[in-house]
Amino acid sequence: MNLNYDKASIELPETWRAKAPIFVSVGLICLVLGACCCFMASTSDGTNAQGFKVLTHSYLTNFVYILSFTLGALFFVLVQFLTRAGWSTSIRRLAEILMMILPYIAVLFIPVIVLLFVGSSALYEWNAADIHSSVIKVKAEFFLTKEFFTIRSVIYFALWIMTATWFFRMSRAQDETGDIELSLTRQKWSGPLIMVFALSVSFATFDWVMSIDADWYSTIYGVYLFSASMMGFFALMIVLSVLLQNSGKMQKLITVEHFHDMGKFLFGFVMFWSYIAFSQLILYWYANIPEETEWYRVRLYNNWWYLSYGLIAIHFAIPFLFLMSRHVRRNRTALTVGAIWVLCAHWLDMTYLIMPNVPNAAGCEFFPFVGHLLGGIGMVCIFAALFILRASGIPLVAMRDPRLPEAMTYANPIL
Amino acid sequence: MSDHKPRKADEKKMPKAFGWMAEYQDENSLLAAARKVRDSGYTKTDAFTPFPVHGIDEALGIKPTILPFIVLCAGLTGLTTALLMQWWMNGVDYKYIISGKPMGITPASIPVAFELTILFSAFTSFLGMIALNQLPKFSNPVFTNPRFDRATNDRFFLYVEASDKYYNRESVKLLLGGTSPDSLDEVLEDITPSSLPRPIILAGLLLVLAGLIPAMIILNMRAGYSTAPRLHVFFDMDFQPKKKAQQTTTVFADGRTMRPQVKGTIARGQLEEQDPFYLGYDPSKLSVVDRDTTVLLVSAQTPADAGPATASQDGATASQDGAVKPADSAKPADAAKPDAGMTAAPAANAAPQLPWIDKLPMDATEENMKLGRIKFETYCSACHGYAGNGDGLVHKRADALAQGYWLPPTSLHIDRVRNQPVGQIFHTITKGQGKMGSYASALSPKERWAIVLYVRALQRSRNANIDDVPVEMRSKLDAQVVAGTP
Repeated sequence: MNLNYDKASIELPETWRAKAPIFVSVGLICLVLGACCCFMASTSDGTNAQGFKVLTHSYLTNFVYILSFTLGALFFVLVQFLTRAGWSTSIRRLAEILMMILPYIAVLFIPVIVLLFVGSSALYEWNAADIHSSVIKVKAEFFLTKEFFTIRSVIYFALWIMTATWFFRMSRAQDETGDIELSLTRQKWSGPLIMVFALSVSFATFDWVMSIDADWYSTIYGVYLFSASMMGFFALMIVLSVLLQNSGKMQKLITVEHFHDMGKFLFGFVMFWSYIAFSQLILYWYANIPEETEWYRVRLYNNWWYLSYGLIAIHFAIPFLFLMSRHVRRNRTALTVGAIWVLCAHWLDMTYLIMPNVPNAAGCEFFPFVGHLLGGIGMVCIFAALFILRASGIPLVAMRDPRLPEAMTYANPIL
Repeated sequence: MSDHKPRKADEKKMPKAFGWMAEYQDENSLLAAARKVRDSGYTKTDAFTPFPVHGIDEALGIKPTILPFIVLCAGLTGLTTALLMQWWMNGVDYKYIISGKPMGITPASIPVAFELTILFSAFTSFLGMIALNQLPKFSNPVFTNPRFDRATNDRFFLYVEASDKYYNRESVKLLLGGTSPDSLDEVLEDITPSSLPRPIILAGLLLVLAGLIPAMIILNMRAGYSTAPRLHVFFDMDFQPKKKAQQTTTVFADGRTMRPQVKGTIARGQLEEQDPFYLGYDPSKLSVVDRDTTVLLVSAQTPADAGPATASQDGATASQDGAVKPADSAKPADAAKPDAGMTAAPAANAAPQLPWIDKLPMDATEENMKLGRIKFETYCSACHGYAGNGDGLVHKRADALAQGYWLPPTSLHIDRVRNQPVGQIFHTITKGQGKMGSYASALSPKERWAIVLYVRALQRSRNANIDDVPVEMRSKLDAQVVAGTP
């Protein structure tokens, strides 16, 4: 099998690199404009407290949105080695680059930590000097303290970044040597690391997202966010692959079979998300215990209901039915449409998770919501810039991976 | 694949040709050959490989199956069925509130809808696959070629069927020959004789005949009779050196195999049948209420006079007759007047007439009173109300619904209950009465008596007089009355 591809065809397009500064400036402008819009939330006491709450929740939403792609990428890389998958070798480097954005993402979390240490409880109620809820009071005694929270956050990021960096370095080293031992080492360690990943993601989700409503708890919450992350990640991979191919790169390396498989994963995780989201709902709906249903009460009533019910169609029914057909998954254009739809649905899902926690449904007033949306666009622009920064000068395919020939020849059976 | 139908005898000599089969060493030559055959326009082709070969479907020109669409339809049918079923059952036909949830389609219907969707889809895909592949097939003409055995091991075969629209024996041979196969054979009909060898037929017949023997033996036995003793295959199991209940024995003087209880022992569970603490009445005084039954019960428990060791069934009856007398003479006076020892409830009450005990079998301590109160408020107050007025929450709710068939709980302050001996109240808690169920499984006897104590206290609270107040407390009471009165 001839793998001597043109070296230029596996590098980031020059035009993309030129766009990085534009992305950064557009992103920053959007973030600033969005922040201003958030402060236009209606207030009852004439202060900006409500607007600040909208802003912090919006920031967390958009932060989790871009974080989810990198976590999905990290899991994807780990699971490819765990299962010794061959099919994905030609697209794995893209995921490796995505997971290497994690160090920058960690920097974006610093504002949240700063918020805690200046004593603000706008985002995390448990950080308030006087906590009204007796449940939160108990949790805030030991677990939900700003010091312990920070230590845990550092541990999560450290685990993820170390895993990602280690795997990425081995991947890059293999580009030079083609040493098969590097693949075997990664295979050996992917199992334990995936367990570490599962636990750390679950706990990070509890800490960062679930604790904004510390009265409430859901043990499936980590899985919920994981399923959403994987779904978002595969959608992003499809869009990224199509964009690269449209710029004349990777055209032979990413075949219709890869799109078909990524489409299958996308379809599968759409279903998985629905399964997990429903599992969480039905337990609380059936038990009908006030402390557990409060979370759903603010989402299913009080102006947020149209988003919550809308997600059934946007996040489940429409992508599920659309992606069900093999013909759609094997059609690049149709699959891209589906992937972009899912990326939007994923953002709405993150909004649904976090924004209704702002009291009085302030997050769905017109200007705050526009601000939140602008913040999302800004964050995605910055994410795009980070990707370009990370991917520059690196071949977009692990050219000397021993499994690459397999990735180039396999085919999905005709059903 | 063509139909393999049995040929007539005169055709047997010339085996029918079903097509050509080419053999290859590896999957790549097979794929190349398959593409060539496909491009020549042949559709009735098949490939046999030791492992699944990627791209073979495309190389053979196999069209995508319609199975997914059938499965999709089946899945939607399952979904619709599940939703309609649940809507009809719980929303229309049998409206029944289950843990306060709305009726008809609810989130709780989704799991069932999900399951039925999967069930219908799974069955359809499995059975649909069987049907579309025309399975099961027990034989294939390619089996006649001994080389074909290696298809499960290390060889790859391509088969072009004669039933193909464009099939021509010579041109297919030429085409396959051009793909450089390891071997190229015509697939011929199996002409080995298909009739069974004679010895096998004979053996089969013999087996059938042998199979009839047991049936013949049984028929013979049913029709005739025998004077020979029954055959005991396991003699020591049929005749064991032991005695069964109700049999006689020569080991004991009274001839009984079932031994009477040794005096002074209490069997497990016996207290619950004899001790008033567990019953609320004194069973030894049952004769007061129901003489006839008591006579029977007592006679059964009184040891008979040590009769002859050869006690027969007649002897047992005799000793029973003899035992009636002492019981009879023991309580002649009481037996004459059944109501003598009782402070029984009015006859209107359907409760059983039993020799209730009058005195609480526990002390009226503060601790017991507290226990009674806790248990009363947990188990009784829902219907009877915290004060025992028969106005608990359940009653209020049922009353508000006004469905017509609600029987209000009894107030514990009506004369009938007030006049009941404590034993009867205990019995009501233990066994239940009317709509009220038994609380024996929820409350220990001690807790039930504690509730009786508390009920008594509740009743007394409505009918108290100054004598009920301890002397040292009376002055305090007086002071309160004075203060409260203008």
